[in-house]
Amino acid sequence: MQDLSSLPIKGINDPWKTGIKNGWDVIDGRTVSADRTLEADVVIIGTGAGGGVSAEILTQRGLKVILIEAGKLMSSDDFTLNEGQAYRDLYQEGAMRATKDAGITILQGRTVGGTTVVNWTSSFRTPSETLQYWQDTFGVENLLRQDLDPWFQKMEERLKISQWIMPPNANNDVLKKGCEALGWEWAVIPRNVEGCWNIGYCGMGCPTNAKQSMLVTTLPMAMNNGATLIHSAQAHRLLIDGDTVTGVEVRPLNNDKVPTGATVTVKAKTVIASGGGIQTPALLMRSEAPDPQSRVGKRTFLHPTTFTFGIYDKEVAPYYGAPQSLYSDEFVFKHGVDGPAGYKLEMMPMHPGLTGALMGGYGGDARNEIERLPNLASSIALLRDGFHADNPGGSVELRDNGEPVIDYPVDDYLLEGAKRTHLTMAEMHFAAGAKEIRPSHSHAGYYKSWKAAKDAINNFAYDPVITGLGSAHVMGGCAMGQDESQCVVNSDGSYKYLNGLYIIDGSVFPTSLGVNPQLTIYGMSARNATALADKLKA
Amino acid sequence: MDQGLNRRSFLKLGAAGSALLATGSTLTLLTGCSSNDGPAAGYRHFRQQDVDLLTPLVGAVLGKALTDVGASAEDGMKAYDDLLDGAMPGTRATLFQILDLMQLGAARWFITGTWASFAEQSEDELQQTLAHWSSSDRGLSQMAFKGLTQPMFMAWYVKPEAARSTGYPGPPQVIITPEAGIPAADTAPTATS
Repeated sequence: MQDLSSLPIKGINDPWKTGIKNGWDVIDGRTVSADRTLEADVVIIGTGAGGGVSAEILTQRGLKVILIEAGKLMSSDDFTLNEGQAYRDLYQEGAMRATKDAGITILQGRTVGGTTVVNWTSSFRTPSETLQYWQDTFGVENLLRQDLDPWFQKMEERLKISQWIMPPNANNDVLKKGCEALGWEWAVIPRNVEGCWNIGYCGMGCPTNAKQSMLVTTLPMAMNNGATLIHSAQAHRLLIDGDTVTGVEVRPLNNDKVPTGATVTVKAKTVIASGGGIQTPALLMRSEAPDPQSRVGKRTFLHPTTFTFGIYDKEVAPYYGAPQSLYSDEFVFKHGVDGPAGYKLEMMPMHPGLTGALMGGYGGDARNEIERLPNLASSIALLRDGFHADNPGGSVELRDNGEPVIDYPVDDYLLEGAKRTHLTMAEMHFAAGAKEIRPSHSHAGYYKSWKAAKDAINNFAYDPVITGLGSAHVMGGCAMGQDESQCVVNSDGSYKYLNGLYIIDGSVFPTSLGVNPQLTIYGMSARNATALADKLKA
Repeated sequence: MDQGLNRRSFLKLGAAGSALLATGSTLTLLTGCSSNDGPAAGYRHFRQQDVDLLTPLVGAVLGKALTDVGASAEDGMKAYDDLLDGAMPGTRATLFQILDLMQLGAARWFITGTWASFAEQSEDELQQTLAHWSSSDRGLSQMAFKGLTQPMFMAWYVKPEAARSTGYPGPPQVIITPEAGIPAADTAPTATS
C-alpha cells in the first residue's frame, strides 16, 4: 500500500518570509483600519497568471507597480496539505463556487498567485485551431500560433515547463493503457515544475516550491524590483474620470472576507485588470465602466468537465503522485473546430473531501463507495465551449452586495457532448482493465462491463444538475477582438471604452481553449505586458 | 407561523417560486420566518433553526461515515459549519434563504416529497425520504439535494480522521524550520477598526 503519511517535508525555504525580512513592501489588508492613498505608474488588480507575468515585465522596465489581491498571502510554510484548510484559504468561495443553478461546481484560486498556486501544473500551448477561430470569428489580430510561439517559448523557459519525465502514477497510467488498447493517441503533459517531489498535492499549494507558480517566480521578481503588494484587499471600483481610468478604490478585508471599513485609494495612470474570468468582469460591472453593447460579463466559458470513476483490482492511490501527467487529444477536434462539442481527456487527483462531494449519494451506499478510494481511478473530459451558436456560455451577474455570480445554462449542445464523454471514458476504463465504472450522472450506478455501461449511458436523461459537471477553468467575460458586437478588449489588451485600462488575464478569451489555460494566459500576458511597457517607456 | 397560509402562498408561487429560489431571491420574506438572530451557540455561521433542521439530515446523509469513526450527527453539522468559513457572505446568505424556505412543511413536501420535518422522521423514514428526493426528476428538488448534501460530504471528508477512514493514509508531514524573528506569512492580526 502506498503511504506517504510519514514522509517528512523539511528544509524548505519560504521565499516570502525571506523576502519580507529583506524589505519587500507587503501590506496586509487585515491590518489596515485607516484610509490611505498610494500612487504608482501601474496598478495591477489580481496576482494570478496574468497579473504575475505583467508585474515582472513592467517592474523590469523600471515602472512602479502596486499589486492588489483579494486573497491572503499564503506561502510554502502555510501549505499544510490539509484539504479543508486549502479550500478555505486558497479557493474562491472556499471551493463552494458554483453556477447559479448549481449545475457546475467551479474550482478557482483566490490567494496571492491566484489559480497558479492550486492548479495541477498542466501547461499546453493554445491549439492553432482555436487561435484561427478567434481571428476568423471575432477579429482577434496578430495572435495566431506563429505570433504567440515565441512568447510561449519565453514563458516555458521562465517557468521551467517541460514534459514530465517520471513514470505516471497509476491513475494516469489508466489513460495510457486505455488509449493504447483502443488505438487512441495519448501523450505526456508538459508541467511547470522544477525538482518536483511527485507527491500529488499541487491542488493544496506546493509545499516544496517545486511548482513554478507565480508565487515563487514572477511575483518575487516583481517584489525584488520594488513592487508593492496589498493582499487581503478587494478592488471594489475603478476610479474613472470622463473616459479615462485614474486608479482603483480598494477595500481591505478581514479574515472573514468582510471589509474592515477602511478605503485604500490607489492612483495610477495605467490600470491592469487581471482578476480572471468572473472577477474582472465583475469589477467592470461594479465600476459601471462604459460598455455600450452590454458585453461585459458575457461569453464566460468553463470547459465544463465530466468525469468517470473506474474501480481496479490493483491499488491506484489517486491521491498520490503528479496529478496530471498524460492526456489524450483523440476527441478534441474530431468533429472540426465548430462541430459537436470536442473534449480533451485527462485524469484528476482524488483526495477524500473532493471525492466525497463528487460521489454524492447518501447513507450506506455512499459510505461503501468511498471506502474503495484506494482502488479508484478518475478520468475527466474537458468540453470545449463557445465554438458554436448553440453554446454562447455564461453571464456574470452581481449580487446586491457586489459579489459576482455566474449564470451558465447547461444547454443541449453541452449535454450531448457530456453523453459522448461518458461513453468514451467508460470504454477507456474497461480497456485499461477496470472492474467497474461509474459515469458522473446522478442516476448512474456502477457497471461491470462496457456493454452494461453503454446501455445505461444511452438510456440516461441528460439534463442539467443531474449530469455531473465541474470546472477548473474560468475563461472569458471580456472578449477580445475587433467585432464590437461581441468584444470589449482590443488585441493589445486595451479596453475599448476607457483610456488607461488594460485587461490581461483569461477573461479576454472569446471562447474556451481546448487545453488547460495557464500557458495561454502566460504567453498572451507576456506579449501584451511587453507592448504596454514599450508604450509607457517610449 | 401559520403553516396553512404559508402552504397556500408557496403553492401559488409554483414555478415562479422555483425560479426565485434558484436566484437566491428573498422568497423567505413571504414566509415571515427569515431570521438574523446570528449563529447558534457553538457555531460560527448556522443559526439555531438551521441546526435543528439540518442535523438529523446530516446524520442520515453521512450515516456510517460518522458512526464508523465514532462521530455524531452534531459533529457532521459542525464540520458543515466549518466549511462555510470559506464561503463569501453572499454565498452564505443564499444558503440561509434556502434553509428558511425548508422550514416550511409545504416547501419540504414540494422539494423532498415529505411534509414532516427531518427531526420528526424515523431513520427508516429518512432513508425513504432521501431515496425519493435523490431520484426526483423535478429540477428544484435536484438542485436542493445537490446544493445541501454535496457540501456535507466535502465538509466531513476533509477532516483528517474522516479522510483516513476512506483508506487514504494522509498527507506527508510538513515540518517548518522556525527562523528567529520572522513571523509566518499568515499570522497577521485582524484589523482593529
